[in-house]
Amino acid sequence: MRRIFEHPILKRETARTVRFYFEGRELEALEGETVAAALIANGIDVFGETEHARPRGFFCAIGKCSSCLMVVDGEPNVRVCITPVKEGMKVQRQFGRSDVSW
Amino acid sequence: MVRTQLLVVGGGPAGLCGAIEASKRGVETLIVDEGVELGGQLVKQTHKFFGHEGFYASVRGFEIAKKLKDQLNEHVKIMLQTTVTGIYEDVVVLYDRQNDVTLEVQADYILLATGASERFIQFENNHLPGVYGAGAVQTLMNQFMVLPGKRFLMVGSGNIGLIVSYQLLQAGAEVAAIVEIADKVGGYDVHLRKVKRFGIPILLRHTIKKALGQERVTGAVVVQVDENFQPIEGTEKEFAVDAICIATGLVPSVELAAMANVKIEYVPELGGFVPYRDQNMRTNVEHVFIAGDLAGIEEATTAMIEGRIAGLTIAQLIKEIDLSKEIESLQKELIEFRSGPFSEKVRRGLAKFFPQRVVEYSREPQTDTGPIGKLRPVIECYENIPCNPCQTSCPTGAIEVPKNINSLPRIDYEKCTGCGICVSKCPGLAIFMVQENVEPGFDLVIVPYEMLPLPEKGERVIALDRDGKYVCEAQVIKIVRFPHKTNLVHLKVPAGFAAQVRNFRVKKRESVFVCKCEEVTLEEIEKAIDLGFTDYEELRRYLRVGMGMCGGRTCRASVLSILSRRLGKSPEELLKGHFRPPVMPTKFESILRGESNEN
Repeated sequence: MRRIFEHPILKRETARTVRFYFEGRELEALEGETVAAALIANGIDVFGETEHARPRGFFCAIGKCSSCLMVVDGEPNVRVCITPVKEGMKVQRQFGRSDVSW
Repeated sequence: MVRTQLLVVGGGPAGLCGAIEASKRGVETLIVDEGVELGGQLVKQTHKFFGHEGFYASVRGFEIAKKLKDQLNEHVKIMLQTTVTGIYEDVVVLYDRQNDVTLEVQADYILLATGASERFIQFENNHLPGVYGAGAVQTLMNQFMVLPGKRFLMVGSGNIGLIVSYQLLQAGAEVAAIVEIADKVGGYDVHLRKVKRFGIPILLRHTIKKALGQERVTGAVVVQVDENFQPIEGTEKEFAVDAICIATGLVPSVELAAMANVKIEYVPELGGFVPYRDQNMRTNVEHVFIAGDLAGIEEATTAMIEGRIAGLTIAQLIKEIDLSKEIESLQKELIEFRSGPFSEKVRRGLAKFFPQRVVEYSREPQTDTGPIGKLRPVIECYENIPCNPCQTSCPTGAIEVPKNINSLPRIDYEKCTGCGICVSKCPGLAIFMVQENVEPGFDLVIVPYEMLPLPEKGERVIALDRDGKYVCEAQVIKIVRFPHKTNLVHLKVPAGFAAQVRNFRVKKRESVFVCKCEEVTLEEIEKAIDLGFTDYEELRRYLRVGMGMCGGRTCRASVLSILSRRLGKSPEELLKGHFRPPVMPTKFESILRGESNEN
């Protein structure tokens, strides 16, 4: 897992870096990318566990399969593949359906 | 409550084209899309499109997305990161994720262009992180420039499987193999050739049996299948990969259409459950239209034409103007596009809704390779796919795609000046230039090349054939760069090889060798150890380290010390591997001539 810096067709746009937190760890992301892309660029591809404790990652990347649900800023069931990463965002792995606070 | 004349759900090629045509005629349009930018799947398509110039043939997908966005005018409002959550008889409900609020919209007409989602398949451990839809890999690698793995197994050899494999190579990843359950490749021959030229193995009649790994993918087991697609026991092969890419097809996203009371029918040829529609893309619900993959799985060109037909029909109804000429000409365009053999299935599916017509096309491949000794293009395009940029880009009119866009191109070598424009324009990378005897003892081959690193002028490279196999050494004598990135590399090859050479490999320059006989580098050994090879014999089998002429004298100790360092074990704990005769290479002949006790 890595960022692509050289590509025969695409040019990497220069983007501002933002900092976000994954389970308390401070990580760097590029402005404009999704939380999922930022996590994978940082080597994290286990996004949580199912109710039956099986590891879960992402599958479709376009918001259709709901396999990438994570807890973002305390809110569970966020589809991180279509959620842009933001400065200071707190992202956590989701276990099962996660806890819902009312 | 928001009011609009037209609500377009989905900002991909179909939705955008619908919005363009409607807004051009003054229709107030609202586009709602879930993603972070408009363009749908186009934003991750780095390959050049087939088709004709009117629909952006030979332009790369992500550039088409930009061109389409530029055509939207002030009548269009756009809401991104917004999901249509429900369609009711009187109102459509949106969820705006950016502001965390739901909204109600009333629209006179709705164009649904919701696209499709990946078809998932069943195999052991298919839930593991590292199992990705091919579209997901494309999104990450081409939209966000992040690679989710180093070495991939591709499952499925349709166009998406082939294209994504090629794009993985461009992004610097490896593709261990492409597996295909059928007995032939599903995608276009030109896409297949693109990956074969790089030596990617294609395993027909094979499928994935199992993903290996605990927390994430560390490998894959592939198995052969019989004619009933049942796995044949004992034919398992294991691949050390860190990602598995599923490219087994798409399923139309019909949820919203169904909620809008559109009749949903089962048409397997179109991808499964699809909404009913007529030739104007209108459904059985008067104010609801559909376009694109939702209407049947095809490709972006037909999605764009369908979107335009829907947009024009809606504009005609709202503005009470006559657009029938434009609509008819687009319908003709669709008939022509779908006349080829690859659309046979789609035609059969669509026939359930309305009769299908086929326009004849020429199927004769050109056998003549042209005048020997003259610099000329060789067109290796043998399949009837709807595409003609070779014809339209030729400045002298030497190339013709007779009758219909699905026909095979023909070249008139009398008219050809050898300019090479067709080579750089061909979206299939199926045209090469050759010239025999360019200087005594040497031929010239010009190869379209879209990989990094580009060689330098004068550099010696390894020339490869159509299957990615070694042919000879070649010298790069010129590189012509094009703004659209299909660069032309001129190779000087020994005389007689021009008909064989179709690709090349840049020689690796700097490397740290452990085993010089078999050319195994430190990096490769460390990579293999990280993949789980933990002993000398395993490494020998996997990498051929120590199997060369020196018999391991030069490298055995080095490999053991690398193992010891990487695994954190002391050298005494490691298995030293077997020592087998002959100690020095011995000729079979001398053994034959030798004496043995048994005689």
